[in-house]
Amino acid sequence: MRRYGGFGLAFLILAAVGLWGRDAGVPGFVVPLGITALFWIAQATSWNLLSGFSGYFSFGQAAYVGTGAYAVAVLTGRHGVSLVWSVPAGAALSGLLALAIGAVAFRLRSLRGEIFALLTLAVPFILAAVASINRTIDGGQGTTIPLPSVPGWIDGFPQLLFVLDAAVAIGALAVAAAVQHGRLGWGLTAIRDAEDVAEGIGVGTLAYKMWAILLSGLIGGLSGALYALQIGFVTVEGVFGLTIPLLVIVMSVLGGRTHWLGPAIGALLIVTLQDRLAASGYTDWNPIVLGAVLAVLVVVAPDGLYGRMRARPWAVIGALVVPIVAGYYIPYGDLQNWVLAGMLLAALVAVVPARWLPARLLRPPRPEPVPAVDRPAPPEPGPPGETVVECRSVARYYGGVHALEDVSLTVAGGELVGLVGPNGSGKTTLVNLLSGTVRPSRGAIAVAGQDTARLAPHRIAHAGVARTYQIPRPFDSMTVRDNVAMAGMFGRRRLPLAQARAEAGAHLETVSLDRLAGAYPGSLNLHQRQLLEMARAVASEPRVLLLDEAMAGLNPAEIDEAVEVIRRISAAGVTIVLVEHLLRVLNQLATRLVVLDRGRLLADGEPQAVLADPAVVRAYLGRQTRV
Amino acid sequence: MTIAQAALTGALIGGLYALMATGLSVTWGVLRVINLAHFAMILLGAYLTYQLATSTGLDPILTVLITGPVLFVVGAAVQWAYDRLHVAEFTSLLVSFGLLIIAIQAVTLIWSADFLRMPGDINPYATESWTVGRFVFPVTTVLAFGLALVLVAALHLVLRRTFAGRGMRAIAQDRAVAAAFGVDHQRLSLVLGGVAGASAAAAGMVFALTNALSPTAAYEWFGIVFAVVILGGIGQVVGTFAAGVAVGVVSAVVSAAWSPATAPIVLFSAIVLALVLRPQGLFTLRSVVGAGR
Repeated sequence: MRRYGGFGLAFLILAAVGLWGRDAGVPGFVVPLGITALFWIAQATSWNLLSGFSGYFSFGQAAYVGTGAYAVAVLTGRHGVSLVWSVPAGAALSGLLALAIGAVAFRLRSLRGEIFALLTLAVPFILAAVASINRTIDGGQGTTIPLPSVPGWIDGFPQLLFVLDAAVAIGALAVAAAVQHGRLGWGLTAIRDAEDVAEGIGVGTLAYKMWAILLSGLIGGLSGALYALQIGFVTVEGVFGLTIPLLVIVMSVLGGRTHWLGPAIGALLIVTLQDRLAASGYTDWNPIVLGAVLAVLVVVAPDGLYGRMRARPWAVIGALVVPIVAGYYIPYGDLQNWVLAGMLLAALVAVVPARWLPARLLRPPRPEPVPAVDRPAPPEPGPPGETVVECRSVARYYGGVHALEDVSLTVAGGELVGLVGPNGSGKTTLVNLLSGTVRPSRGAIAVAGQDTARLAPHRIAHAGVARTYQIPRPFDSMTVRDNVAMAGMFGRRRLPLAQARAEAGAHLETVSLDRLAGAYPGSLNLHQRQLLEMARAVASEPRVLLLDEAMAGLNPAEIDEAVEVIRRISAAGVTIVLVEHLLRVLNQLATRLVVLDRGRLLADGEPQAVLADPAVVRAYLGRQTRV
Repeated sequence: MTIAQAALTGALIGGLYALMATGLSVTWGVLRVINLAHFAMILLGAYLTYQLATSTGLDPILTVLITGPVLFVVGAAVQWAYDRLHVAEFTSLLVSFGLLIIAIQAVTLIWSADFLRMPGDINPYATESWTVGRFVFPVTTVLAFGLALVLVAALHLVLRRTFAGRGMRAIAQDRAVAAAFGVDHQRLSLVLGGVAGASAAAAGMVFALTNALSPTAAYEWFGIVFAVVILGGIGQVVGTFAAGVAVGVVSAVVSAAWSPATAPIVLFSAIVLALVLRPQGLFTLRSVVGAGR
């Protein structure tokens, strides 16, 4: 837990500032401004846990704030329940609400980002309407929260609230950091990049999203409950309004959504900016500045400030500190204005193009530490001849279209089965059935003796099925090595990240991609991306590997290389089903050919025998083709 | 008020919802831009109508002859900027949110945050209505309904029957391929953005006829307009119209039967339910290809 000591230290410092700061000469504005800043840090971090990491943007952050705030308003404000109970109750209710939202939204089959955003937008509207009609809650009147008494050794209620808010905000950051560096964070990142691919390599996407939304709801509700104390008078407009989602989105986008610290940086900057605008009598300009920041930033620096600050740390720290120190000694203007000037300057330094800065200030991108290549123990190939895949009378209908009809097929360990057939004959449907992306309308499928017909795709991946996609779909925000490591990490062996990374090196060697391990998929060509797909599939150490037209669009030299790679994978004992049009490839590789035609199994056997079968020649090759 | 009259009034008000939603739906479906700035243009249209009518004495309905072209240009300019900066689906939601906030605050600074209503001598339409048998037809909502009908029919015909419409549908389905076949994406999106802007002017004008204006009205439209867009099916103009009417009827009937405060609960629960059951939109026919997904 040494990694999280910093959070404890940060909290102790903040607590000390809150409790004894006045005696130590900390300026008076720190506590009230800090309460606001810490509230927004907690909210932005709560939002980021789901929306930043997984890419499902929520417009419903106000639902959590409002639930937490109203729990305190009703329990403490109306019924006099102690805050010790009502604040946790707010968090719990908000967590339950989040689970309910997730249970509805994430079960939608065709949920897309925009639909999730709008669904979550509707939730605060509903809650606000409920609160304004229901007289046991509020009836639209608003509720005053009586200020609790404060022990004598604390200066006053604001100081107590500051310490509580600090605990929640620092706790939220610690949770976000733990999530980001843990399995949950990697899973969420994979979901953001390519959700069904993530499911296919074994990420239980539904569970991961539910965990993320639960954490988001708990933190949002806890911080919202404290917000009720901060504002003292809870109204529907105050806690269910659109300002809350707007601000958390602006803060997170500004700071950067892919790192746990990003939203906090955005929150600090926005809160200081708003405070200074209000203090200078420009309250009216507040929204204009916010809107402009959002619009400009999304276009100029869509990844947010944090990543850019990391690339040029000294320039940024200098830009931040110099004005603040100067402001401390120069008897001109408020110190707060100097703080804001420092923040804005730092943000500016982070955003300007690199060529405008002296090279000394830039930190060259640190080369990723290359883990020692760790040869995975060769998977224990089941005794050759043992049945790995068994389909019995499998059918799949799309409406009236019979994509597959009554297909029975067994694949034995160590085989390399070529699956061929004209376009529309059901090859990809069969691959989708085996990998679980679609479910059979009838029939049974078993992998290594386990019935997989009704399992979720990630469970089928754990049962030992891996696949590649016709159009390669890498995780774009991860390096090539991490793309491969994901399969080891989330596959049936559930390796820790370090080991998965080390083994990924070996798998990349198998597909001759090792020299590109540190590159990002965006810089790869089609051939390399297809090889990456294969490496990722192999890394899960599957019992059966489904290669869906893994050579489409390659030139002859690249095909030869791909054939070599497949041969190597097969030699390692992996059972392979290869969907392919090129007879040259099939002749070189396949130990057996299965022919589909219009959804039915046409032939199954030795390649030479199958290709000589007149029915196959007629259906697939045309009458005149020589083999 | 009887339930039947409530349903009728609701259906007519639904015309206004459809008028507000159509531009948003079409730019979303065809151009892949979720343009929250559309709400800003409706707001601007409403305030311009108010300003023109009160300061020049122009008939408020005729102001649309001025605000329409103005907002056509604004809409086209915003669309041009999105194109130039490659603002795509999700980014557009954020960028246009920023633009919306700026616009709302600018309106507040110019016209103040207080409610503004056109006086009765300038705007006689607010209180006028026709009576047919037992039913009352308020002039303004009939106007909204009629305008929505014209807009929807025109857009539908353009998208279905004309070459430019085919080009737009091609863009909706696959921008790159459409470009390869010579569809001039930029010019068409300028036109479409402009049409959306002009429709916002019409919606704003109708809104100003019946309602007191305040800058935050833009936020209040959010829920209902998105409900209409989603229920109608993104990019489906006819569906949007049907959804507008359906949403209008449901809200009005619920308000009349129980209380106005329950309307949002029923409405948004209906949206959630509709999203769960038919995410492609209630009124999307399988054969109708508009949004192309």
